[in-house]
Amino acid sequence: MASVAEESQRPRAARRRGGGSIIPALPAAAGLVAFFLVPLLVFAVYSVLTAGLYSVSGPLTLDAYGEAIASRVNRTLAANSAVIGLATAAVTVAVALPIAYWLRRSARRLRIPVVFLIIASMFASYLVRIYAWRTVLGSNGLINDGLRRLGLIDEPLEFLIYSRFAVTVALVHIFLPYVVLVIYAAMAPLGAGLFEAARDLGASSRTLWRRLILPLMAAPAASAFLFVFILSASDYVTPQFLGGASGVTLGVQVQVNFRTLGNYPVAAATSFLMMAAFLMCYLLSALVLRALRLHDIRFVN
Amino acid sequence: MERTQRSPFTATVTALSLLFLFVPIAVVVLFSFHSTGGLSFPFRGFSLRWYEEVFSSPEFREASVNSLIVATATAVVTLLLGTLAAYGLSHSRSRLRAPLALLFFLPLTLPGLFIGLSLLVLFTEVQIDASLATVTIAHLVYVFPYFLLVSLAALNRLDVALEEAGADLGANSWLVFRKVTLPQVWPVLVGASSLAFALSFDEFIITFFVIGADSTLPMFIWSTLRRTVNPSINAISSLLLLVTLLLFVISFVLTFRRGRKRRGVIGGEELMEQALAGDAIGGRT
Repeated sequence: MASVAEESQRPRAARRRGGGSIIPALPAAAGLVAFFLVPLLVFAVYSVLTAGLYSVSGPLTLDAYGEAIASRVNRTLAANSAVIGLATAAVTVAVALPIAYWLRRSARRLRIPVVFLIIASMFASYLVRIYAWRTVLGSNGLINDGLRRLGLIDEPLEFLIYSRFAVTVALVHIFLPYVVLVIYAAMAPLGAGLFEAARDLGASSRTLWRRLILPLMAAPAASAFLFVFILSASDYVTPQFLGGASGVTLGVQVQVNFRTLGNYPVAAATSFLMMAAFLMCYLLSALVLRALRLHDIRFVN
Repeated sequence: MERTQRSPFTATVTALSLLFLFVPIAVVVLFSFHSTGGLSFPFRGFSLRWYEEVFSSPEFREASVNSLIVATATAVVTLLLGTLAAYGLSHSRSRLRAPLALLFFLPLTLPGLFIGLSLLVLFTEVQIDASLATVTIAHLVYVFPYFLLVSLAALNRLDVALEEAGADLGANSWLVFRKVTLPQVWPVLVGASSLAFALSFDEFIITFFVIGADSTLPMFIWSTLRRTVNPSINAISSLLLLVTLLLFVISFVLTFRRGRKRRGVIGGEELMEQALAGDAIGGRT
């Protein structure tokens, strides 16, 4: 652990290895331009074209954007996406912080197996997780069945499945391991002496968190929050299987617009509006961190 | 020696989270061995009938073979292009470094829905028919940043002196790479490549848009999930879990464990911390 801290202490210039050529990186760069940037550009052009059925044509117009914004359905679904995204991000970050702290403070023989398990759970298939939650939360699933057997309920709890709640639970399950690792990575370089010093100076657990850990973790926690928010708010698969009628999201609608209705410009315009919203969230979080003076807190051992 | 501290709150959160992460998966695996079609307790005994059913399904076999083809192609191409890219980024001071790093990591920030739709639009425009090749291209875009994150962290941590010594002794850059750099980092590169394989093997969100008449294992699971409540889905899921977890263990052993046994090879936990902390990008700027 200490080695990481020392590493970053070493003057950057000494580690620099110059003189090599950038040329080896160019084939991959060409590939990403051709199959990542160019497609995005074409997709952007689609958003300003006129819709046909499963086709697009000139002239250039902003109609698709107007239609996407004016749509009542889109607004409801955008609200659903935002609620699911915010809830997922808030829960994952709130749970990941204490886990990361526990990892940081526990002995190696405990830490290594727990890190191993957390990374292993990251590798559990995405669709299998969605399916697993359907079996756990379903009306004959593990929870309802268990509660019925215990005599606590007569009718299955219907809100457990086919709701925004179910979608959020599955998405937390999917993203929690990533967030734990990101926050743990940010916490790992903090020297043990820091916590000891705070304790020795009489800080309670609450003060320790409020004055030391949370400010130091604000920036990484914010990036993790955004990462989870963006990916879960735009997810279109989990809501299809667990969302029911009340848990449909904007991502599902984009997919339906594109594949089922064949309205390419509206699907494209909705996508770019979503990306614009995500970008705004990013800028907003940067501004908030800056206003709270938490954006460039660095820990030096 | 660091004083370890008892903190009942954080320990409880950690323990409950591990339960939360593993219980649903354990339930799926358990019921894949159920002797009846029931998906709730009590458990009525073990049997392999769902596995027999799955293995006798031609669709399952075709989808598995397709997934293997796509994931292998993705892993191999990523290993080649990604190693070159990581080497270029870590050994050059070119002004192109920062923009290239941005380009390489950008796909990480864009939701799969948009990557998939953009690629579908491109393939339609230039009239490339959807096939396993288009799926592989999509997977390459998706897995590339992950490969780079891990391999770049390893290359950035190499001891410069060894490579310089090689160069001073008259070796050209290819010889230095082959004789000095590669022996130190190959386990990490292969580990990152198996990570690419695992990501590709399980990819659904992007694949959904760029796949044609073919099927992959996640596509097969998706269509089974939509059709019926078929208990064999537990067996398929468990098999998919088995494959990805196996790859994880391989990748973990190569990237993390090896470092502690052999000096000079990039080691375990620090590498992960560095990769995750984003030092891969900033490492040598």
